[in-house]
Amino acid sequence: MPTALIFGITGQDGAYLARLLLDKNYRVFGVHRAGDCDAANLHSIGAESVQLLPFDFVGGSVEEILGLAAPDEVYNLAAQSSVAASFKVPVETGQVNGLFVARLLQALREVKPDARFFQASSAEIFGAQSGVLSEESALRPCNPYGCAKAYAHSMTTVYREAFGLHAGNGILFNHESPLRAAHFVTRKITLAVAKIKHGQQRELRLGNLEVERDWGFAGDYVQAMWLMLQQAQPADYIIATGKVRRLRDWVDCAFTSAGLDSREFVTVDPAFVRPTDAGTVSADVSKATSQLDWRAQVQFEALLAMMVEADLRRVAAGEI
Amino acid sequence: MKKRALITGITGQDGSYLAELLLEKNYEVHGMVRRSSTTTATQRIDHLLDARLDEASRPVLHHGDLADASGLRRIVETVQPHEVYNLGAQSHVQVSFEQPEYTADVTGLGVLRLLEAIRGLSDRTGEKIRFYQASSSEMFGAAKPPQSINTPFHPRSPYAVAKTQAFWHTVNHRESYGMFNCNGLLFNHEGPRRGETFVTRKITRAVGRIKMGLQDKLHLGNLDALRDWGHARDYVEAMWLMLQQETPGDYVVATGEAHSVREFADIAFSSVQLDYNDFVVVDPRFFRPAEVDYLLGDIAHTKEHLKWQPRTSFADLVREMVEHDLELAQREKDFPYKS
Repeated sequence: MPTALIFGITGQDGAYLARLLLDKNYRVFGVHRAGDCDAANLHSIGAESVQLLPFDFVGGSVEEILGLAAPDEVYNLAAQSSVAASFKVPVETGQVNGLFVARLLQALREVKPDARFFQASSAEIFGAQSGVLSEESALRPCNPYGCAKAYAHSMTTVYREAFGLHAGNGILFNHESPLRAAHFVTRKITLAVAKIKHGQQRELRLGNLEVERDWGFAGDYVQAMWLMLQQAQPADYIIATGKVRRLRDWVDCAFTSAGLDSREFVTVDPAFVRPTDAGTVSADVSKATSQLDWRAQVQFEALLAMMVEADLRRVAAGEI
Repeated sequence: MKKRALITGITGQDGSYLAELLLEKNYEVHGMVRRSSTTTATQRIDHLLDARLDEASRPVLHHGDLADASGLRRIVETVQPHEVYNLGAQSHVQVSFEQPEYTADVTGLGVLRLLEAIRGLSDRTGEKIRFYQASSSEMFGAAKPPQSINTPFHPRSPYAVAKTQAFWHTVNHRESYGMFNCNGLLFNHEGPRRGETFVTRKITRAVGRIKMGLQDKLHLGNLDALRDWGHARDYVEAMWLMLQQETPGDYVVATGEAHSVREFADIAFSSVQLDYNDFVVVDPRFFRPAEVDYLLGDIAHTKEHLKWQPRTSFADLVREMVEHDLELAQREKDFPYKS
């Protein structure tokens, strides 16, 4: 029975990945911040059998955790995951999203160099560039979150090139699901739609509606993470749908799917506009398609319908 | 009114040259130093701190650390600088493979702490503070030479990755908050004040000591690594120039000439009538886990915009360092117990 160790188990991706690995008969250890273990995602997805390990991400011993779990595969999904918050807490973001990865890589090199390592990299490492982005594109992060992710990305590359670790970056474009935290704009919208539908909310304030993103389903993306670690050679992969949509489409589509008209409820609020924002990009997914035989299954409309439905059900049941 | 400058890393090679330059230009110079248990930490600037000098013409030292955010804020608030030069770093590539976390914290996140402190002061006073970040040619790493300001980075060590992160933070604070931030992408810059664990100084120290009969062999790593080597004294002038421009920007600072470690050793040994082949031992311990083969700066953009160019030739640089280290070795020979 293979063993996997997931840093960042309580988030959306941690839950989906845990479920995937449990279904594949892995023994799964999940690391979370001590004193901050919200296992709701794991429960809601039927992944309760993960063995949870509390951890101090700033000063804890990664070596000890690696010794305890003796993992064949290590997935680092832990992060301060909000771009907007990273402008407010840039150093903390740098410590958790960046510096922690240095510790993790050094510990792997020293105590478990044969383990395979997945680093959750991000489209934010490319920043405000426009055009088609591939694994070869230059990094040009444009916010503290992107800088920290770019640091982690490059360190993963250095440890692969310098020490031969089986280490790779999954450059994940936006990926959503009903488990997405409510401060992310996609979920903020579907939740608002559900609350408005049930008369619990009257207005939705948003930032720049013209931003374009490549949105996929988290459940598909964790599949790509696992596939990356099954390859003979480690490498970096862009994980995306390859299709770009505007935030406005997301809004309109979400309201429409609940029989509502977005124009009656949505207000643009400058408070949500970021000091700098990522540009218009499209992702070249040919490497993941050809080498991993992976492609996003759930498309934009289906993803939205899934999230709106889940939120309508939760609001109706009084869960939120 | 005198301009006030704050230099982190004032005790380092570049910090000492920059402090001299700014004092000459009549700045009030403040430097940040880490507390150390030895008294040699300030040796590169001891001549500037001499108590016989007029107090107003000496740099003012503040204890601080790039890992200490509240300390940085206190220093920035106290000094109220017009210009800040961030030269502080864990600056050794080989050490960064042993201490990646510390390197990330100081070399990478340190700049972010400092930028946040400056932004805080600027927001309150409304004064724009000019900021210089010491970026590095190591960020180019495996990128194809010659490397210009438009070359994508390909860092190959924890040091280089940390410097790259610091570069982006500097750019992002400029773009997000309108700060006057500049990056100087400095290619290798040397001089007699270079730390003795850096390859150039290690060579010239050995040449001096071998010449004086104090040493037999010199252990080096990759002799074929090509670098663009200039004189640190020339390069600090480019730092200052960047902050005197109307608009902030990023610049490559280099000579535009590359030489191998082997050539450096050859000239250094030849200048005292020795043959490097007789003394140099290639030692795998000094090879890097991931080598950076060829760094060569393209300075067209810098020449045009800063009107700056290097003054010291490669051969002169090597000779100056050898001369200095011959004297040092002579003293070591004359007073063996003292040193």
